[in-house]
Amino acid sequence: MTIRIGVDVGGSFTDFAVLDTTSGKVTTLKVFSRPDDPGAEIMLALDILRDRDGLHADAVTGFAHGTTVGINTVIQRNGEALALFTTRNFEDVLEVARLKIPQIHNLYSRRPAPLIRRECVFGIDERTLASGDILAAPRRDDVTAAVEAARALGCRGMVIAFLHAYRNPANEQAVKAMIAEIAPDMAVVASAETWPIIREYERTITAVISGYVRPRVSHYLDRFEDRLRQRGVVCPLLITKSNGGVMGLDQARAECVQMILSGTASGVIGAGHLARASGFDRVLSLDIGGTSADVAVIVDGEPQYGVGETIGDFHIHIPSVSVSSVGQGGGSIAWVDDLGVLQVGPKSAGSTPGPACYGRGGVAPTITDAMAVQNLIGHLPLGYGAVSVDHAAARAAFAPLAERLDSPVELVAADVLAIAVSGMFAEVSGLISRFAIDPREFHLFAFGGAGPMLACFLARELDLKGIVVPPAPGVVSAFGGLIADLKNDFIATLYREATSEAMEEVAGVFGTLVGRARAWLEQQGHEGPGALRLSADMRYAGQSFEIETPIESTWVDSPDLDSLRSAFHGEHARVYGHADTEGAVQIVNLRVVIMAATPKPSLVKPDGATGPLQPTLTVAAHFYGRPHQVPVFVRDDIRPGHRVPSPAIIAQDDTTTVIPPGFATEVDRFGNLVITRDRR
Amino acid sequence: MAFDPRHLKVFANFCAAAADAMAFTLMRTAHSAFVKETEDFSCQVVSREGLAFANPRSFGAPWYSGIDYGPLLARFETYRDGDICITNDVYEGHVATHTPDIHIWKPVFHAGRIACFVVGHIHNTDVGGAVPASLSRSLTEIEQEGLRIPPVKLVENGRLNTFVLAAIRSNVRAPDQNIGDIQAQIASVNVGERKMAEIVHRFGFDGFMAGVDAILDYADRQARAIIRRIPDGDYFFADYADEDSVGGQPCRVALTLSVRGDEVVLDYTGSDPQLGSSLNMPTGGRERHPLVMVGLTYVLWTLDNSLLLNAGTLRPTRAVLPEGSVVNCQMPAAVGMRSLTCAMTQIVTVGAFAQAMPDLIPTASPGGNAIMNIKTQGRAGRPVMASIGPVGGGGGATPFADGSDGAGGATGFLRNTPIEISEAEVPIRFLRYGLEPDTGAPGRYRGGLSAVMEFEVAAPETVVTARNRNRSVMGSWGLHGGSPGRISLFLRNPGRADAVSLGNTDLVACAPGDVIRVVGPGAGGWGDPFRRSPEEVLTDVVRGAVSVASARADYGVVIADRAVDVAATTAIRSSRAAQPEEAVVFSPERIAFETIWTRERYDLLTDFLARQPVTWRFFLKHRVFAAVAASSQASPVSDQMRAIFADLTQRYGLPA
Repeated sequence: MTIRIGVDVGGSFTDFAVLDTTSGKVTTLKVFSRPDDPGAEIMLALDILRDRDGLHADAVTGFAHGTTVGINTVIQRNGEALALFTTRNFEDVLEVARLKIPQIHNLYSRRPAPLIRRECVFGIDERTLASGDILAAPRRDDVTAAVEAARALGCRGMVIAFLHAYRNPANEQAVKAMIAEIAPDMAVVASAETWPIIREYERTITAVISGYVRPRVSHYLDRFEDRLRQRGVVCPLLITKSNGGVMGLDQARAECVQMILSGTASGVIGAGHLARASGFDRVLSLDIGGTSADVAVIVDGEPQYGVGETIGDFHIHIPSVSVSSVGQGGGSIAWVDDLGVLQVGPKSAGSTPGPACYGRGGVAPTITDAMAVQNLIGHLPLGYGAVSVDHAAARAAFAPLAERLDSPVELVAADVLAIAVSGMFAEVSGLISRFAIDPREFHLFAFGGAGPMLACFLARELDLKGIVVPPAPGVVSAFGGLIADLKNDFIATLYREATSEAMEEVAGVFGTLVGRARAWLEQQGHEGPGALRLSADMRYAGQSFEIETPIESTWVDSPDLDSLRSAFHGEHARVYGHADTEGAVQIVNLRVVIMAATPKPSLVKPDGATGPLQPTLTVAAHFYGRPHQVPVFVRDDIRPGHRVPSPAIIAQDDTTTVIPPGFATEVDRFGNLVITRDRR
Repeated sequence: MAFDPRHLKVFANFCAAAADAMAFTLMRTAHSAFVKETEDFSCQVVSREGLAFANPRSFGAPWYSGIDYGPLLARFETYRDGDICITNDVYEGHVATHTPDIHIWKPVFHAGRIACFVVGHIHNTDVGGAVPASLSRSLTEIEQEGLRIPPVKLVENGRLNTFVLAAIRSNVRAPDQNIGDIQAQIASVNVGERKMAEIVHRFGFDGFMAGVDAILDYADRQARAIIRRIPDGDYFFADYADEDSVGGQPCRVALTLSVRGDEVVLDYTGSDPQLGSSLNMPTGGRERHPLVMVGLTYVLWTLDNSLLLNAGTLRPTRAVLPEGSVVNCQMPAAVGMRSLTCAMTQIVTVGAFAQAMPDLIPTASPGGNAIMNIKTQGRAGRPVMASIGPVGGGGGATPFADGSDGAGGATGFLRNTPIEISEAEVPIRFLRYGLEPDTGAPGRYRGGLSAVMEFEVAAPETVVTARNRNRSVMGSWGLHGGSPGRISLFLRNPGRADAVSLGNTDLVACAPGDVIRVVGPGAGGWGDPFRRSPEEVLTDVVRGAVSVASARADYGVVIADRAVDVAATTAIRSSRAAQPEEAVVFSPERIAFETIWTRERYDLLTDFLARQPVTWRFFLKHRVFAAVAASSQASPVSDQMRAIFADLTQRYGLPA
């Protein structure tokens, strides 16, 4: 027997999804994360899998995992001491960024300090024009002086980002070659290699983040690889990427920036696959943990992609699965302001000390505590016994608020929940407007530790088709890594009007990108051609935002300008509601995505119901401030064909699904809870 | 019906979500570049009386959170379900503030009764008139500034008023954009109406109305709590825009801030008469007009970041706006560039509050953020026009930290245009873009550095404009011994034999090979620069923000080989005679100007002009300035001014 393992290392817990490639069965495991010794949790889990399930390292044929080492390095600002080489007289690119200050009503507001101190930025005498023509090539003496000065300042890595390098990287490459001779020990990142897009700040910051996280990420990957190899795992090791795919360790070390959002992306990929395989084509994924609440739009299993995702104080401009933060998760703290108005967040108890009811040092009343006060969670062990819910501690945390507001704790807890939900509602509603989707066609796909706990409350405010809670909501992200495809993005800037003369260049550039894409797939050890996806970022002349438009390769092979243009008009009309079929169209970028599909397990169909569903116990709980007798079910007892009454509480190892009055719940053939508003 | 405060946050979140949905719809469907690039639009939900109670949380122009649509709503006696109204007329209701801003509003009904209105505006790129884009400092009458649409029902009885659209179409330069934007606005208010109707349904009509009152009251109480922290008193501050007309005199904006308990009065008496240029602000004298409250909103929010911004925030405040002045102009004054004057009102507001709360209020950002545009030609003579971004000063120094570099404070909300985009779009080559050393005025905390932009023109018949540029005559001010900012620069061919300083010109013709250099005005410092720690000065020198010469001359810190020469520094710093820290430190240019144009002289001028017909005032102001310049300064100011006034009234047959 062989197994494939997907791992998601989160802030509090590390989740494992283990696929038996023969039976298609997925086993799950959850252990505490070890931020003090990253990788230790994985070794521990391998021990447990061996002892508990008899799964041995030599049976592992696939291993994919996501890590937060990269993003934490940026948030904690403990990355590499870098120097930046820019075109002379443009050294302030990081200081100025895009000029706008973070809080426009705040007279004290300042942009966050750059990751590279200004004195470590060196202007190099060189210049490439927008055409790609080189006006001045870099001189060795100039570069030598800069390298020596950087070294004297303690810099141990270098980033090169020259104007118009997206168009012609020759000057960046020349300087990189010079540094390799002058200072062979220096790690060097060039902007056009990292992600060759037009817009100097966006390209520079992306390269800077890549260089900044590199030492920590590669150190982590080295140890991770060593440990697994010592353990006898011989299969290729894969890392999940921000773009929702996976890559090999060599690429991960060289292009650290690619993995920076791996955790959130694989959650969305996992949700997309599970939803689609269960027959839900349009979903909003809702991933709520202790410190975050994220939503993504998924259509036909495909998430939306975006650029400019947030990394600490910065934005990163590589293609990433587009995930929107809609709140701070279960740890958000409730408080009463000076004017007597109840508020929730933005302060959070996070995962440490966490909610008061977890008894790990937290005393502040959080959203999770509000659920405990209403007696909606904590009836059966949570988190594989790692966490138990102390209802009395939750009530004690709420007591001061109740006293201040002169109101019973249950009522205050209901109000806190309503405020938290209304805040999430406002964010999701914005997302719906931004993507112009019709919520009535979408299911909310709830996962993460707290997603199923809050999903119904949120769905009640949004006019959605329903809610889906998968059988193992806690390991959707780990599962995402398990089924993610090998995938890489390639881009080239064209910046040219879409005319019939331009089509020759379009074909040439696509040819180059496809060649690079195929070479990449080969490097990953994949046999076979892989699947290619071509697209172009286009806009009407004068616009400042591009729309990515899918391109058929036949339009390129035998030049078909009309199809290319009308594809853009169609996409513009779809996104913006109007199109100007006479307008001049500009092609800014050409993109190629190559993918090699990872075999997907077909979903296991659990045995159907053999008898009526019986609650394990019945508890006195509160919904919206009103008392109810609420049955508590064990998730494992719930079988396809069952209907769950409302209200109800459904407990399982990794989460609690809370179903308020007024919902109807069916169980589909894959064991998903499918919850709808009861419209009777 | 009392509204349970425990539900206030839920109510606020729901209403904000509706405003967000309006903003997203607008951004997604609008045609104008202004909407997508600079977010120059607004969306609000307003009460039946017109008071804004919900705003988008992070989009749109930051000036309109407390807007009052009351006068516009009152233009129609009855509304029916589905009606949508439109106007851009600045002199009808005083909600629109220049012609490119097209406002629309729509009632939200619940069971036959109006519950609220959903409203908003877009800055259209062009609404016709004398110049492309409809805005120029040189325009003198509203009629030159493009089409004026009086308040009219654009949709009535479910039918679109096609005459309105036809009238727009035949009066503007790129009608498809305007029509597209209006359709986007219609889509936006329709979304807002639907969302708000759901909220009214959810809370019930009475509950909803109570919620609106509660949310306005909440912001009101928050604002009052902040104002109570401000010591009672009257605080005067004045400042000057470069010119009141092309080649004219300084334009003065004066403010007396009166704080009494939890209320504030902003009295703009002493501000210049309405001008023969387009710097006028059409406020209609409305005491909470958003344009005169921007600075106050910034100050209050800076003092408490939890402040909810809506019309309730402005309830404890009131402005006095003398009729016929630059802050309350009358028909037919031109108003296109009122944003430059609005920036001055923000600066004097910050200046007045800085006197009231010296330990908390920062130096103002200098204003005069130049919006750089270029019109040139590509190969084969194809015309190219593009905005290449704002170039301005940094944020003012605060009592705790240096000002933000490149842009900050009240003028920090604009994004720049990437150099690579500009070079790909326009045949110009940039020689430099970044931060100019030594432009942040010295202080215990230093002003933010100014932006600098330098580029070379490649084609003949190129025109470069620097709209909104200011501070090329008098630099901004510092606080508590902090230095004042230096003036902004606009140069052609700097360092060459044919170098020209363009002064306050905002338009320059260029030929191939010409180099344009723009440096934003310096932002003022806070506190005595000699009290800045030598280590901080060293850090600034090492990072290139301050030169070694300035470190020595301005900070008294001697730096050699990237280290502080402690002995030399101590010697310089201790040899300086003790000097009092002036509360406000003005620039030398301003001190020179105010040697003649004292506050006393201005008070006399203000009184005199107030007695004259509005249409004479601008003319008379210039006559008085000429007379003052021509007369000797020997006699007391009051005698001298009285003589000048007497001479003028007699000559022109005006009231004494």
